[in-house]
Amino acid sequence: MSEQHDDRPGRAESERDAAAAWSVPAYLLGGMAFYGLVGWLLDRWLGTSWLVLVGVLTGTALALYVIWLRYGTR
Amino acid sequence: MSLHVLAAEEGFVPPTTGDFWQPLIGDGAFAITRSMFVIVISVAVIAGFMLLVARNMSVVPGKLQFAGEGLYNFVRNSVAIDILGSRNFRPFLPLLLTQFLLILVNNWFGVIPPIQFPTFGRIGFAVALTLITFVVYHAVGIRRKGLGGYFRGLMPPGIPGWIAPLVYVLELITFFVTRPLTLGMRLFANMFAGHMLMLVFILGGEYMLLEGSNLFVNISSVGAFVMAIVMTFFELLVQFLQAYVFVLLTALYIAGSLADEH
Repeated sequence: MSEQHDDRPGRAESERDAAAAWSVPAYLLGGMAFYGLVGWLLDRWLGTSWLVLVGVLTGTALALYVIWLRYGTR
Repeated sequence: MSLHVLAAEEGFVPPTTGDFWQPLIGDGAFAITRSMFVIVISVAVIAGFMLLVARNMSVVPGKLQFAGEGLYNFVRNSVAIDILGSRNFRPFLPLLLTQFLLILVNNWFGVIPPIQFPTFGRIGFAVALTLITFVVYHAVGIRRKGLGGYFRGLMPPGIPGWIAPLVYVLELITFFVTRPLTLGMRLFANMFAGHMLMLVFILGGEYMLLEGSNLFVNISSVGAFVMAIVMTFFELLVQFLQAYVFVLLTALYIAGSLADEH
């Protein structure tokens, strides 16, 4: 088994691109779902109805921020 | 599945989620189901095929060896080396190849007669496979960075202090909930929904042909059967892609655990 595939220059980029492509939906989903849930629970606790929206938007914003930090700044 | 047609006196009975629960021996939580038989057959098929390929290795490959090496090289070159790099891929290649072949054969069994049952259309099988990936990528990360270092490494650098806890929770959710959930759900849902779609077209066409109230309905069943054939070929592609995506993501998650501090 020859090692003709030794670290080609493009490998690191292709790995990072693939990681970014697959992680973006995971971060967005996780952010929206978790902070949406927090907002919903706060709504139930405080008797309001708008904190769930704040939660979903906060989660989306945080997810976008993390995505930018991890994959957008290099 | 022809049971549906026999029971068709009261009209068309569409396929339901219950069609995926097929106990063969016993019943309840400890029943031996059709999916269990299918996965055992798949393991026998894969093991037999690989042994046959490995036993008759020659410098000029025959057809069988060509197929075996093709599968091996596909996982090795376009998943393992491409994602993990030529220095790190070797310890993980057996896992990736095994996962790929197991998923591929079981998915294709969803179409290949006379088996025609997708094992991963039962969520338990997808969960078990996902758990292996889940344990491996966390174990790799913890072994490399230590328990504290691993959890510190989940935090992306350069985050202002007040926002850090909010982001860290998101990272934890992504690594411990979203990743395994989407990985297992993607495989399960694709196999489940794809099989359901084929069932709808095939059973619908069968009903229109055999039980249709007039000639026009009988002839219209041709459309359903054409769609059934089209969807079957589409499924073959989806089934391959799901096997590829599963090992690709397993490799990506392992690569993330192997990567140095960001």
